[in-house]
Amino acid sequence: MPSDERTAPAGADGFEPTLKLHPISWVFVAVNHFKQFVFALIAAIIVGSNRGDAGLWWSLWILIPLVAAAIWHQWVFRYGFSERGLVIHEGLFFRNVRTVDYERIENVDTQRSVLHRLFGVAEVRVETSSGGKPEALIRVLSLADVAAMRERIFERRGTASVAAPIDHAAQSEAESEVLLELPPSELVRYGLIDNRGLIIVAAVFGFLAQSGYFDNLQERGPPTWLSRVPWDSLAELRAVGPVVLGLLVFALLIGFTRVLSVIVALATLYGFQLTRAGEDLRTRFGLLTRVSLTLRRRRVQAAHQTATLLHRLFKRVSLRVDLAGGAGPGGGVESPGQTTQRELWLAPLCAPEDAERLIRAALPQVQLDGLEWRSLAPRARRRIFRLLSTMWIVVSAVPAFAVLGNWAALVVLAPLPLFFVHATLYVRHTGWALHDEFFALRRGWLTRKLSVTPRNRIQSVRLTESPFDRRQRMASIEVDNAGAAAVSHRLKLRYLPKDDAERLADALYRSPAGAEPLGA
Amino acid sequence: MSEPSPSWSGSPASGDEAPLAHDRPVDPRTVAVWRWAALIGAIPFAGAAGVFTISMLIAGSPLGDILWIAYPVLLAALAAGAWWYPAARYRRLRYRLDPIGITITDGILWRTQSSLAQVRIQHTDISQGPLQRRYGVATLKLYTAGSRFTKIELPGLEYGEAVKLRDRLLEAGDGDAV
Repeated sequence: MPSDERTAPAGADGFEPTLKLHPISWVFVAVNHFKQFVFALIAAIIVGSNRGDAGLWWSLWILIPLVAAAIWHQWVFRYGFSERGLVIHEGLFFRNVRTVDYERIENVDTQRSVLHRLFGVAEVRVETSSGGKPEALIRVLSLADVAAMRERIFERRGTASVAAPIDHAAQSEAESEVLLELPPSELVRYGLIDNRGLIIVAAVFGFLAQSGYFDNLQERGPPTWLSRVPWDSLAELRAVGPVVLGLLVFALLIGFTRVLSVIVALATLYGFQLTRAGEDLRTRFGLLTRVSLTLRRRRVQAAHQTATLLHRLFKRVSLRVDLAGGAGPGGGVESPGQTTQRELWLAPLCAPEDAERLIRAALPQVQLDGLEWRSLAPRARRRIFRLLSTMWIVVSAVPAFAVLGNWAALVVLAPLPLFFVHATLYVRHTGWALHDEFFALRRGWLTRKLSVTPRNRIQSVRLTESPFDRRQRMASIEVDNAGAAAVSHRLKLRYLPKDDAERLADALYRSPAGAEPLGA
Repeated sequence: MSEPSPSWSGSPASGDEAPLAHDRPVDPRTVAVWRWAALIGAIPFAGAAGVFTISMLIAGSPLGDILWIAYPVLLAALAAGAWWYPAARYRRLRYRLDPIGITITDGILWRTQSSLAQVRIQHTDISQGPLQRRYGVATLKLYTAGSRFTKIELPGLEYGEAVKLRDRLLEAGDGDAV
């Protein structure tokens, strides 16, 4: 919703904020400005060093205005706690005074990189429910000041807020309870399951390609280490040689990316901890950059449990939640309606037995035991199989016959049993359940996903019938809430029997009639 | 397939009360608006195809002979589409108002039915294009706090009807219940 408090004329009650930033703030402000240039700069250094470009060093002059601006920012920045809300005074030439009502404040999150921790400070993001960018970004405060700010904000809200009676528990930081902790061994597992290493390899590859590393590969000839490979013994293997080599390279690549993944997991999620603080959940994680996030329970729109094949191999699942507005701590350019891509973990990894307990910490109404799961339409399997087969045959038939001649039939027909197995398993593992309080759906067999959303969070319901649906008397249904912006978080189910879909749509539509406000 | 039936109700308002809701069509004048809009929309396409045909004829390409026949057929098809589609859409487009909110059914090949509870409406727009103004119809746009279907549109309402519908939808939900 449009946040009027953003630009509300401050000091309406004559309040002047007096508190200052931490004395070292300018370093962080400057570093942050600098970051926007840093990739261009690194690229310039790498590319420039090849050409011996002296003009490069001139670009470092840009640092002087950056530092000056940062010092000025620290000089003029003031914040304070008025009767109504948090007041922030800032501005270089254009002064800006922002008042954020205490009762509107949803999160006071902190993020600390190595540099922050060296100085014992933190970057603070004050968020309301408007989603997208944080209402106020305070760079940087000492830890004691952060604690004081949290206390002031939540204490004021406890007394001042009449509109949000649910909040008063949030003030009590003391009654916190650890719900989940991930030891390094779990993070190693997470790294093995998650494949972030591949992304890094791709990124490095992309960077090398961009910086011209591959441009003159031909002139440079093969690197020296290639000559040390025992080519002769490989040649003796004849036809098997390339296969062995290929497998070896493949195994090395897999191994390397997995090791990278483990390192990334250890660095980003080190010391992951999920705690309950009053009514809210809080997560803390990170080795180098320490992130502390508050997941306000009344903003939780849905919870998702994901289990890939690797998850199941390690007997684990991943849990994440969607928040209204979808605001994460991630920076970047955000416009309303667009969410940050950062995952809001409830648990990056946990045992399946713990999943329900943790989901219930976020959505207390969820009760997965004894749910009456309903399946897709009886003919859904046939439709999925036909759809896949038709698509495959249309795509593959012509090229296959052109290249292979008579063998083509084999290539074209070989995957059909696979499609049949897929359709069978998909239908078996996909379904939905409607409870008095929430709507649950599960999808997929290779990667199994279970999503639950409380019925009083549902914004609208859409039933769609394609021409194919109509022929088979089926329909698909999609539920919208305030946190489903990301494609992977869509709450959509296809191939339902039309009668079921219609009754389900009607029941879900009726859900929010007496719903409590969800506080988005 | 003997599955226990799920709890369809469970919400404060269960379906038993059977409100006096019925599907209502929108204003028939919207057909004319859509026909004009479709015709105007077809002009650039028809024009481009015409230029291409003529240039092929001038160039003496064998393609020109085919296009010479095909072009009138294309024009006829466009005109028929512009005539038929709005009427067909009008026949499908229905809305239903009940104590909870509004349900809109739309689409010819891909049919959608969007249901939106009144308390979920954040704000509304009534918009009129120049053609719509000429025919006295309007589009009612309902905004939710959702993330995928943030805007649900009901086109083709008579202007006064759109205003009445908006007032009716806004009277209970004051936008507080996000």
